Amino acid sequence: MPAKRHAATTTSAATPATTAPLSSGPATLKTNASPAEIAQHVWQQYLATTPQRTMLLDAFMAFLVLVGGLQFLYCVLAGNYPFNAFLSGFSAAVGQFVLTASLRMQTSDSGSDVSKPSSKGKNARFAEESEEGTGISHERAFADYIFGSLILHFFCINFIN
Amino acid sequence: MHLWQATVPFCLLASAALPAAAASAWGFTDATVAVQPKGAGINGGVKEELSSSKPLANPVSFAGADTLRVTLTTQEGSSAKRPHQAFLLLKDNQSGLDISYPFTVKENGKSRVELTQKELPLQFLTLPGPVDARILIGGFGNSEAYDHSVFKLSIDRDPNIPIPTTEAPRYGKLPEIHHIFNNDPSNPPIVLTLAFVGAVIAALPVLAGLWLFLGANVNHLPTALKSAPLPHAVFLASLAAFEGIFFLYYTSWNLFQILPAAAAVGAVAFVSGSRALGEVQGRRFAGLR
Amino acid sequence: MRWCLALLLFCFLAAVNALSSSGSRLLVVLDDSTEKSLYSTLWSDLEGRGYDLAFESPKSDSLSLFQHGERAYDHLLILPPKSKGLGPNLTPKNILDFLDKDGNIILALSGRASTSSAVSSLLLEVDIHLANDRSAVVVDHFNYDTVSAAEKHDVLLLNRPGPLRSDIKAFFDGEGVIALPRVAPQTLGNTSPLVSPILRAPETAYAYNPKEEMPSADDIEATGSQLSIVSAMQSRSSARFTILGSVEALEDQWFSATVKTVGGKKTPTANREFVKQLTAWTFKETGVLKVNNIEHHLATDGEIAAEDLNPKIYRIKNETFFSIEMSEYDYDKWVPFEVPAGDELQLEFTMLSPFHRLNLQPTGRTETGVIYSTQFVTPDQHGIFSFRVNYKRPFLTNVEEKHEVTVRHFAHDEYPRSWAISGGWVWIAGLWSVIAGFLAFVVVWLYSAPVADKNKKTQ
Repeated sequence: MPAKRHAATTTSAATPATTAPLSSGPATLKTNASPAEIAQHVWQQYLATTPQRTMLLDAFMAFLVLVGGLQFLYCVLAGNYPFNAFLSGFSAAVGQFVLTASLRMQTSDSGSDVSKPSSKGKNARFAEESEEGTGISHERAFADYIFGSLILHFFCINFIN
Repeated sequence: MHLWQATVPFCLLASAALPAAAASAWGFTDATVAVQPKGAGINGGVKEELSSSKPLANPVSFAGADTLRVTLTTQEGSSAKRPHQAFLLLKDNQSGLDISYPFTVKENGKSRVELTQKELPLQFLTLPGPVDARILIGGFGNSEAYDHSVFKLSIDRDPNIPIPTTEAPRYGKLPEIHHIFNNDPSNPPIVLTLAFVGAVIAALPVLAGLWLFLGANVNHLPTALKSAPLPHAVFLASLAAFEGIFFLYYTSWNLFQILPAAAAVGAVAFVSGSRALGEVQGRRFAGLR
Repeated sequence: MRWCLALLLFCFLAAVNALSSSGSRLLVVLDDSTEKSLYSTLWSDLEGRGYDLAFESPKSDSLSLFQHGERAYDHLLILPPKSKGLGPNLTPKNILDFLDKDGNIILALSGRASTSSAVSSLLLEVDIHLANDRSAVVVDHFNYDTVSAAEKHDVLLLNRPGPLRSDIKAFFDGEGVIALPRVAPQTLGNTSPLVSPILRAPETAYAYNPKEEMPSADDIEATGSQLSIVSAMQSRSSARFTILGSVEALEDQWFSATVKTVGGKKTPTANREFVKQLTAWTFKETGVLKVNNIEHHLATDGEIAAEDLNPKIYRIKNETFFSIEMSEYDYDKWVPFEVPAGDELQLEFTMLSPFHRLNLQPTGRTETGVIYSTQFVTPDQHGIFSFRVNYKRPFLTNVEEKHEVTVRHFAHDEYPRSWAISGGWVWIAGLWSVIAGFLAFVVVWLYSAPVADKNKKTQ
């Protein structure tokens, strides 16, 4: 994995210094590519174009998938008693995943203009926000995320008894 | 030994019969019992002589399709005479069940009775042992009536043919009923549980490792605390306090205890959060994020 | 409710020196007053036990069992009339109405003359059957009185009856022989639990019509213990109807006669004692049950507070205690009721059908009652249940108690907490690790500096 990542950075470095737009990958895919090649291409594309902050977010989502999967596997192996505990433990992981996915949708689309706001300054702030697809600032999205998460946690703790 | 056992009741019976014989008494002679299987001729089946003083040694077997026939000549004293009562009485001494079948008696005392299993009450079909067959002969006046066991009747039946139920409604105690409870749900093996608990908790270090690998850090924390120390500290503390309140709710508090606390912490978190996130936005616009 | 009324009535009547648990007004229906003197010992015995006797002829116009729609008498004793039928005021319907209103009846029959068809149809209503020609007499060439019936063998000498079944209390047992002259036999239907024989004929007895010279084998319908000499019917409302096959057994002459069995010694008859038992049972001086008290509550070791007694609601799987105190009337007082050996007083905990049916055990005793109790766990099924004691036995008045309670499910805070169940630990750990991960993620999101971008800037 580190090797690939390194390869990705080097290939991106080969292109002009500005960050590559989403559509342009490190290498173009041939029309008769094998599934393995496609998968590797997608993976490298992801590594090359995803901002680090979004990757941290993806790591958290992977953690949630792992925790939820373990709980589901345990339920399959050991039975669902007490069922309310299963529901609330599993739905905590799933719900947190859904909320995090929403946060990612609302924050990851700014990957291309990471370097731009510095030049525009505070005056351009409102204009820039309207340019974004959601029209909601990252911080507002994060506040919503925290609010939703707390409600989810309350629900799950209440239900687990 | 066998002879001795057989002679004792005979002697007793004989001695009991002696004074009776002196007075005028009812009795019978020429008695036979015959069991005729279905389809056999008139002389087919088993036929045995009956003695008026001693019952037959072996029970008479009476199967499902057989006809039981008892014939005898009734006597008063030593002359043949028609009695008022001439019955074949079947009695089970254990249950006390009894039923009588009257003989068809002619003027000269010749009597016969025929019986099939269909004529028996259903209760007799389920008896475990043989029943006592007695002959009753009696009439008005001073003559002593006759009542002796003459043979044992073993009612054999095909066990494959079910007997119709004879349960008549009677008040009485009923069988006890104890409710059968559902089993309590059982816990899975504790080893499996602990293994999965370990795996779930181990996911946290895995997350931390992944973040570190991806280059996560808290490098902006000093910056943030420098530019907006109070909002950041209070915001983080209020989030932790929220989860702490939830933990208390889980362990001991009830809903009405957490509601005011959550309202207070929520207000603090809202105010401090909007300041803190404002600072974060400032950093973003400054290109630091 | 009926018990309260009966008790009130009893208290009221006790003051007027009545000993029956259900009233003292006794109407005797007999043909003419000359016959009355034949039974003088019986009348004095009954008056001595506190009954107010009224005598009426069946032909009398003033005879009425009801007044203003209510019973005019509590008990009725009908002796067989010489004429046909019981007259216009004692139709089978009137007599059954009297029974329906909890009046008790003794009907005596006689084998001397044929029984009227009105009586026969009355008995058919309660599933008791007379012989086809209604004029049969029971004879037994083995158990007759050699003094009075050496030729005709129609005065039966029988021991007083023991218990009907091993699990039923004997109300008519005792020493001595009963003389029963010229018995009109009855046979009992097999489909009703309300009818039971009090005294059966011996196995050697049979019934025949004395008008016919010789019975042929086809004429004999029933023999031996199929013939009932004294039978009883107790209705669902516990009203009692006794049929006595031999009216002559009530006469003074047989109360004090000396009899001799075949090959036996001369003995006095026990008719007087037997008739006392018979009238006492029919007129509810014996075999009357009463429920004094019913209690149910959660099973606890200590004392039960008044507010915890007989609660309206239980939870599933509650350990529950039930007790009932029962008394039995014995001639002139209430005494503790002991369940006969071999029988059980049973409690049912029912919702449509019984979930539990438990034998109640005697656990205590008061001056007039025995306390029966049991303890059980309410079923794991919620709904409207009832504690039910349904004690119906031959010769005892019916006890049918029903107390409804609600059985509820666990309340939400009555379940075990999640950490007490080891099977749920994984999900508890999952929930809290998600929360911990969330807090860590908040910190990372807020304060993580972008690494990759720095690399690019250095480039």
